[in-house]
Amino acid sequence: MNFIPIPLIIWLIEDLLYLIIFPGLVTILVLVIIIIWLERKIAAKVQMRFGPLWVSKKIGGALQSLADLLRYSFQEAIIPEKADKLAFILAPGLMFAFATIALIFIPVGPYYSALFPSYYTILFSVALIIITPIFAIIVGWASDNKFSFIGALREGFLLISYEVPFLLSVVSMIVIFRTYNYISAVQSQLNFLPGIILNPLAALTMLIVMIRTTGRFPFDITEADSELVLGLFTEYSALFFGVGMATPYVELYNFSLIFSLLFLGGWWPLNVNVMNPLYGLFLPGLVVVIKAFIVMAILVFLRAVYPRYRLDQAVRSGWSYVLLLSVLSVILSIVEVKFLR
Amino acid sequence: MSEKIFNIDDLQNINVEGEKYIILQIGPSHPGSGHMRIKVWLDGDIIVKVDPDIGFVHRTSEWLSERREWIKAIPIVERIMLPDTVHANLAYVLAVEKLLGIEPPPRAQYLRSLVAEINRITSHLYGIGIFGIFLGSSTVYMWAFGDREPFIDLMEMLTGARITTSYIIPGGVRWDIPNGFKERAETVLQYMERRLKDYEDIWVKNPVVQARTINVGVLKKEDAISLGVVGPNLRASGVYYDTRKHQPYAAYPNLDFEVPTMKNGDAYDRLLIRVEEIKQSIRMIRQILKDLPEGKIIADQIYNQLNPVMKKNYEEKKRVMFPAFMIHMRPPPGEATAKVEAGRGEIFFYIKSTGDKYPYRFRWVTPSFRNLPFFTHVAVGHRLADLPTIYGSIDYFPPEADR
Repeated sequence: MNFIPIPLIIWLIEDLLYLIIFPGLVTILVLVIIIIWLERKIAAKVQMRFGPLWVSKKIGGALQSLADLLRYSFQEAIIPEKADKLAFILAPGLMFAFATIALIFIPVGPYYSALFPSYYTILFSVALIIITPIFAIIVGWASDNKFSFIGALREGFLLISYEVPFLLSVVSMIVIFRTYNYISAVQSQLNFLPGIILNPLAALTMLIVMIRTTGRFPFDITEADSELVLGLFTEYSALFFGVGMATPYVELYNFSLIFSLLFLGGWWPLNVNVMNPLYGLFLPGLVVVIKAFIVMAILVFLRAVYPRYRLDQAVRSGWSYVLLLSVLSVILSIVEVKFLR
Repeated sequence: MSEKIFNIDDLQNINVEGEKYIILQIGPSHPGSGHMRIKVWLDGDIIVKVDPDIGFVHRTSEWLSERREWIKAIPIVERIMLPDTVHANLAYVLAVEKLLGIEPPPRAQYLRSLVAEINRITSHLYGIGIFGIFLGSSTVYMWAFGDREPFIDLMEMLTGARITTSYIIPGGVRWDIPNGFKERAETVLQYMERRLKDYEDIWVKNPVVQARTINVGVLKKEDAISLGVVGPNLRASGVYYDTRKHQPYAAYPNLDFEVPTMKNGDAYDRLLIRVEEIKQSIRMIRQILKDLPEGKIIADQIYNQLNPVMKKNYEEKKRVMFPAFMIHMRPPPGEATAKVEAGRGEIFFYIKSTGDKYPYRFRWVTPSFRNLPFFTHVAVGHRLADLPTIYGSIDYFPPEADR
């Protein structure tokens, strides 16, 4: 059996492991279930109530989200008569798919990444993340519902307003690390300081954009229930709705991974140099995912504190404060690169 | 904040037909509408015209009350104003007492004010909670509804029922104050004072809330008067008018309290005024419990109608059982009106008796109905997202308006 290239098999197994088990689909599913549960439990704690309780009572209702997912799976999928059926059915799936595919280009360890170790991983992942909201607009348009349509318009406005700051904050980190590659970016943080200390402005911009893009409070504008029923997903039911509901959490996961790689030092405090299956492959990934989880937990906590902004206020602050902040972060990066190094 | 770009005169003439405007039917089955339909014409994101369509929960309370004995109208009017039952009860009973010519004893007057003020706090908390969920803050919604509970428990301790108490009857009240009520009330009031600080931290001083509410839904003083707005919404526009001060009833002439007013008349002021009124109510409850006079809780005319068993019951349990007089009550012919400052504003009652077993004419106007002009007048020129802000800030309760 000499003709089977052993490295190729290892490479394939590693890829499948990456995409399906960790940090891919299974991890995403588990983390989304945990984060939804945590969000509801934190909010319940603040709001003097119990939160999810009855499904799996012994572990505090942790399986409630799984039960909801099961319920969505067996619910009748209602497609409105006047809906654009193809777009109506495909758009939530594509939205979820593109949110998940971005993970290919986000490595969670120095020797552990999917597909090929590209040099331009930061650019690819950012590009894929930016595609996702376009499908949200298609979702809103396809349902032929005024509330969904208004939700889609709002999504479009916000998408445009917060894309530039997001890109600029990423650019400022690219400037500071002088690389387009997550692994090199983390390595340079391990050698010097984490990105959040090097450029706190970029970190702040990134956090704001994360809150906005994933629809956390106070930017829960596209699905403002007191105005738009459920915004984009007003007409959706069954698994389509479940997928649509899970997508922002997947986006949140991707953003948090990027945030922990670019700003929180990636797999710091581990400095991995050996290619050991446990130490080299999984442990750094675990550190990154735990960091990302903490970031997610902080962001979902905002629900308990803030109500939502109005659309025009959010758009205005996107084009003024947040844009200014991101431009300043780029300037800060250039100054640091010129004078400090 | 968006400037008003239309005034009420333009609204009458504007042509809302054609394809330029998006017409949104918000309600009657919509999370942000309550039991009503709000038809909104949108020019982009700007509201051009608002048409509130009420009547979905009309329950013919007047018709029902005209076909029942006088005493049986009390549960009916209570069920119309669910967050604010005591005031509906009190207003009706005040009108009937004017017809009957009965004056309740001082202790009953104080107990009426006591339960009315407890009810005012629960009503304002209800309004603050609904405002919270309309702006997207589930925390304030849960807090306000949770903090209603201690006060509702107080009402239960005093009256035997949580919401629909039917506590006030012609001639007095039904129960005397139970043992341990004063201590329990003091605990609850101290708890609420602590909680009001929390509300200030997370809600009143929240930058997002201030950005959403300041200069939104401004109702000027002159407009508020000419549109006939009542209650906290009127006082938020800077008008010093409160039925408790201007036409006092129950124990209010003897109580020392202030009527808070605001200047701007925007949604933020309407939020603040409810917080201030809760503080005043707490102050009044303390005074009432301190100064509560001794004596009977029912007028002598009614007391003399009680049979020996009922009298024994009254002496032992401090509980008024209904004498036969109550169900066979036939007030002398005449008309009577009554006004009461309820949680959302002024209730007005007009009752006409022909000396019959049933009221000849039973007419009442509820505060929410009188606050209806807010939708057509104030929302125009704002953005769609401001509609829930305005709706939440006026504390509108559709079943109360529909009656």
